[in-house]
Amino acid sequence: MATVLGRLLGLAFVVCFLTGLFSHFLQQPESWMRFPTSPAGLYAVTQGIHITAGIACFPLLLGKLWTVFPNLFQTPPVRSFLHLLERASIALFVGASLLEITIGLLNTYQWVPFPFFFKQTHFALAFVVIGSLVIHIAVQLPVIAEHWRKRGPDGKPLYGELEAYRATDGKDGDAVDTDVLPGGVTGRLMAYIDSAPRPEPSVSRRGFLATIAASTVALVVLTAGQSFALLDPFNLFGPRKRGVGPQGLPVNRTAEDAGVLSSAVAEDWVLTVRNGDTVREFSRADLAALPQVDVELPIACVEGWSQLARWRGVRMRDLADAVNAPAGSAFLLRSLEERGSFRINRMGPEYVRDERTVVALELNGETLHLEHGYPARMIAPARPGVTQTKWLSSLEVTV
Amino acid sequence: MRAAMGAGEIPGEYAGAQAGTSAGMRAARVVLLVVGVLTLAWGGYVLLDTQRPDQVVGVLVWIVAAIVVHDGILAPLVLAASVVLRRSGRRLPGVVLAILQGAVVVGVIFTLVVVPEIYAKTLGPANPTVLPGDYAFRLGMLWLVLALLTALLIGLYYLVGRNSLVERNSAARRD
Repeated sequence: MATVLGRLLGLAFVVCFLTGLFSHFLQQPESWMRFPTSPAGLYAVTQGIHITAGIACFPLLLGKLWTVFPNLFQTPPVRSFLHLLERASIALFVGASLLEITIGLLNTYQWVPFPFFFKQTHFALAFVVIGSLVIHIAVQLPVIAEHWRKRGPDGKPLYGELEAYRATDGKDGDAVDTDVLPGGVTGRLMAYIDSAPRPEPSVSRRGFLATIAASTVALVVLTAGQSFALLDPFNLFGPRKRGVGPQGLPVNRTAEDAGVLSSAVAEDWVLTVRNGDTVREFSRADLAALPQVDVELPIACVEGWSQLARWRGVRMRDLADAVNAPAGSAFLLRSLEERGSFRINRMGPEYVRDERTVVALELNGETLHLEHGYPARMIAPARPGVTQTKWLSSLEVTV
Repeated sequence: MRAAMGAGEIPGEYAGAQAGTSAGMRAARVVLLVVGVLTLAWGGYVLLDTQRPDQVVGVLVWIVAAIVVHDGILAPLVLAASVVLRRSGRRLPGVVLAILQGAVVVGVIFTLVVVPEIYAKTLGPANPTVLPGDYAFRLGMLWLVLALLTALLIGLYYLVGRNSLVERNSAARRD
């Protein structure tokens, strides 16, 4: 039972780790990195999976911890220095895992009640959790191997580890091993607990697994609608809802937060496009006079929500050509934002040259709303929302 | 104590150690251990490298707090609830108890995940598109639906399926 949950939980951790790394490097790429721009919904899917698998970890982790809870009270508590190290690594594994999924969940609704940075801690703890998981597997490898070996002719396991244990040592569950129990209050408490009737192991085992399965499925179904359109009708507990927001699209950073309330609506706004000494300036009217394209691309946020939208504007590569930018050049996208770590964002050549990358002037058939980046914003396929720079001020060729 | 828990105890971690004496097994364990320790150390380095010392202390305090909240409060409460339920319901069939326990656990897990959401909403989200729902009402409805489902399942067990369920259980035990 602990093994079934352990495998699922291990799988969920690895999925979260890999999708998390992908998201990390999309947002903070090394300059040599190139990313796929197709399918356009790639990041919406990987980050949707990251958040959904993270939410599924709550019942899986709590269930797994429940099955091993008695180990907390093993006697003697510490048998050797090695045993102490092992128990310490388990404690770190448990604590870091609980903290990792908790701060991840809170961050999906931008609530940061803890005294440390979310992004850096979430990234660092991911390695702590995965490292502890690998150590845990190393320690338990003989047990795991034994478990895999005990298979019947049909290939199914003959015993789970618990059943194997019960077969040898568990005896009658209702019997109280009074001789091994300490006396006094503790002993009486233990005796009281042990004398509680136990349901049949098969009923209790299946009931437990069914409970964890039901919790996991229900949590996923009732939250994943924020990431996957198919489940949108069941999105009762996801912190974002499709269609809620100006022009039917949720907002992450508002114009007020970004400090662009006046600069974004200034009469003299221009988009500056620069390649060394070649500089072109485009007013909004100039941009609107250029050839316009329509694209359907998702906004996909690191917090897991995503939504498809229709954008209309000028192809990025047309603007790059307007300043004779070489084919392989990357661009720095600058926002009117006064602060924020993504105020300046580097866009790799694979996005610059993709025909679906657009400096958008319209959203869902209307003039781009101020909250969505008026007067002009970037929208590129398969990029995280935070890099889809709103309230553009300049595009500049960079190395 | 282990006998009381629905789950029971995992065999001592060295139970399979006899099986683990082969050279291949030892090599695999050493490799895993080294990879694990290096990965863990990298995480520790990143933590120290990207945060102020007081923030690193904050992370450690929260890790300890997570363990204390789980092992010291949450799990004992679940154990107590389970023991009380089983003692007070000794006349109830195991299946009925399992359904009752299952429903409570599903409800509690949802409550754990949704209550922070409800609280964060009272603090005022960053903008109106964050946490737009009435999550307290929905959580209440979820408990109501759970209660109805539980009653339905138990009713079904008593009215229709008791005999067949018992038969299936004993058949499962003979497998």
